[in-house]
Amino acid sequence: MLKIDSLSKSFDKGKSYALENVTFDLKVGDVCAIVGESGSGKTTLVRLIAGLERPDSGSILLDGRTIASMNKFVQPEKRKIGLVFQEYALFPHLTILDNVLYGISKLKNKKNRAQEMLDLVGLSEMGKRYPHQLSGGQQQRVALARALAPEPSLLILDEPFSNLDSMLRTQLRNEVFDIIKKTDVTVLFVTHDTQDALSVADEILILQHGKVVQKDAAANLYVKPNTLYVASLFGNTVRINKNIQSAFHCPLNEECCHAIRNEKIKVNPAAMDSDCDYITNAQVMKKIVLGDSIQLLLKLDSGEQLTVMTQDTNIADTITIGFNSKDILQFNE
Amino acid sequence: MKQAGSNSETFSLKSRIKRFLRDNNRWSVFTLAIVLFLALPIIFIGVELFAGPGETWSHIVKYLLPEYILNSLFLVFFCSVLVLVFGVSSAWFVSRFEFPMRRQLEWLLILPLAIPSYIVGYAYAGIFDYGGTLDLLFRQWNIEFIRVDIMNRAGLAFVLSISLFPYVYVSARAFFLNQANNLLEASKMLGVSERKTFFKLMLPLARPAIVAGLVLVLMEVLNDYGAAKYYGVNTFTTGIFRSWFSLEEPETAVYLSALLIIIIFALILFEKWQVRKIKFSSSKSNSTQIQRKESSGVQKGLIFIMVFIPVFLGFVLPVAQLLYWAFLTATTVFDLQFLFVSLQSFGIAIISAFITVFFALLLIYFSKWSALRFIKNVARVGVLGYAIPGAVIAIGIMIPTIALDKWIIDVLGQFGVDSGLIINGTLIALFYAYAVRFLAVAYNPIESTSLKVSSSIPDSSKVLGVGNLKTFFKIEFPLIKTGVFSAVILVFIDVMKELPLTLILKPYDIDTLAVKAYEYASDEMVMEASIPSLFIIFTAMVPVIFLNKLLIKK
Repeated sequence: MLKIDSLSKSFDKGKSYALENVTFDLKVGDVCAIVGESGSGKTTLVRLIAGLERPDSGSILLDGRTIASMNKFVQPEKRKIGLVFQEYALFPHLTILDNVLYGISKLKNKKNRAQEMLDLVGLSEMGKRYPHQLSGGQQQRVALARALAPEPSLLILDEPFSNLDSMLRTQLRNEVFDIIKKTDVTVLFVTHDTQDALSVADEILILQHGKVVQKDAAANLYVKPNTLYVASLFGNTVRINKNIQSAFHCPLNEECCHAIRNEKIKVNPAAMDSDCDYITNAQVMKKIVLGDSIQLLLKLDSGEQLTVMTQDTNIADTITIGFNSKDILQFNE
Repeated sequence: MKQAGSNSETFSLKSRIKRFLRDNNRWSVFTLAIVLFLALPIIFIGVELFAGPGETWSHIVKYLLPEYILNSLFLVFFCSVLVLVFGVSSAWFVSRFEFPMRRQLEWLLILPLAIPSYIVGYAYAGIFDYGGTLDLLFRQWNIEFIRVDIMNRAGLAFVLSISLFPYVYVSARAFFLNQANNLLEASKMLGVSERKTFFKLMLPLARPAIVAGLVLVLMEVLNDYGAAKYYGVNTFTTGIFRSWFSLEEPETAVYLSALLIIIIFALILFEKWQVRKIKFSSSKSNSTQIQRKESSGVQKGLIFIMVFIPVFLGFVLPVAQLLYWAFLTATTVFDLQFLFVSLQSFGIAIISAFITVFFALLLIYFSKWSALRFIKNVARVGVLGYAIPGAVIAIGIMIPTIALDKWIIDVLGQFGVDSGLIINGTLIALFYAYAVRFLAVAYNPIESTSLKVSSSIPDSSKVLGVGNLKTFFKIEFPLIKTGVFSAVILVFIDVMKELPLTLILKPYDIDTLAVKAYEYASDEMVMEASIPSLFIIFTAMVPVIFLNKLLIKK
């Protein structure tokens, strides 16, 4: 339903690109998360799709219709895309009900529709209040109701939870996506938090420096990341460089880049069983107790430093560590 | 490293043209049209230069121009010094120290702006004149009066400075209050003395803000006609008037205007250069308010006196003199005709305030809706009228409108209709001139309030299917109302005070209070000028106090 083809946008006439040759598509009913650090181009991508920026090259198709290209530009008000802004952007001088009514003023039974939306987000009684009288979470839900009221075919959520603390965040994320699931709208969900993405999205698109690094189902991204960057987004990862290779006596193909997730490195593997192909000794430099687990800062014989986690409270000054060869991640970088 | 421009085609000329064709919309065209309309008077001055100078030009260059230039430089230099002393010191004391009546003095320091400089000039002339107020007082006390002659360029520099220093005070105070606190605390923690902190840290940091205020002052200095004329100092502005009215040589007026414009642009470039050299002033405003220092009793007294002096000289003394005159002349000046002039003055000011604000809104929002990025810079060109002296704008409007009217009379004459002058010498030309001159006065407050509205608010309106115009009326206008309201008031005050432009362009049967005051003063009836002057001051004072309250609240 959404088809994006080699989309580029530069804010300094081509000296650098906020977005470069981005290509991907979404199917009807998909929930896709766009993950990237700040400055990776997430917001630019969203604003291009919504029509709030104009692309420098490439095209965007929505439901088979070109909405932006080199010689065509459909105004945002004609695109029928729902957008929930990071800061909610509720109209401060309008009541909650009027905010929701705003986008559906041409509808016949607009009053019913608006009330229906407020019921959906669980704010049936709040219609007469003003945005500043609501909590952050409630404002968020009003923004969602307002965006969903015109029945958009695509709903975009731009970092909707980044203003909230982590406790509230999880709760609100679940609430919001429970509401969204009831409407079977296609969703594009922008976040810098991989936990957010993993918990709600069918598919995740990773942006780095304005480019798509990987787009895949959530589970695949953990098992088969395309790059070291993607791998490290889903947990601490160590590159297996020359020094580590020599410490573990594991010669690897030099043309590829190899890495291992820290959590896959085992501390004192039991009786040198088959679980670990590569083993080495390490000196414990520092122990940091983090609740029920302990973080160890290790120094290998080759001089390399490494952190690992363990549940074992009985740690000597020198320990054995090892990992399984099937846990090695390999990239063509 | 990121490879920039890996698709080199994107910024090829062909692609740029394609995008330009995609992105140019009617809003871009409208913005350009409005800017062009507002720039027309200046463009006409440029065009008229090609018609060559008038007969007296060589005479003026030889005998008068050196004097104009010398006097203007003299005024620019001494006004700068005085204005910096009054403005920066009072701003620093008020924002850094606690002393008796600090709160009251903080806004009293703005009030000199309510008095047009030519009126301050009349008042001081009356105080120091032979047989003037001081003379009378001294005689009463039997002290020999040492007469100080102030009817010269030194006196003029003093009068202009004391009435214009609040521009520097306001911008320096804003800097000291909002931006300086954490730096000040850092300096204190490092054990640096108060004096050294001010001279080594605060003054250099505040320089861009101070220079911005100073440039506004100097523009007003070069704009002044009334005071220079009354004090008999020949400046560019009086020269323009003389060649227009006495010599009846528009060509010469045009040449003098062009020279004056060059001087003004040199000033603007100077400001830009000053600000470019120091980028640090643009740091985010600090939310913590500056901590005021409690000092000893003697110090407090001294500071109070230092801060009170500019208020006394710039407001209390001239107003007292005017009130005294008003008391003497009330019976002769107050009549039905005077009431009528006041009403005319109010009416003209209100209408031009609305017209100007309307243009400012068009310019701000049309350029926002334009998808071409350079249009936003183009819009700012429309604001430059504020830098151009009123007399120059008037000349730039007078010349083309006379030509246009002649053409209209010719065309309509062929159909046997005698139309007379339609634009020249009518209120249309006057309103147009006010809009050109005071656009920035309306533009800046509206723009700054509109920047406070997060761009995601109008954006979300558009995403919800509502177009630009409807978004403006339903969402943006309600949110920027206060900015628009203060813009209307500010333009209103400026039009009430305006003299040179009004003198040249006003219809002969219409008077404003400013013109009335000027006419009394030029007819050797300066006492009678006090009542229209006081009317202007009080109408300007109320909004100045009101707006300052608004600013403090923010």
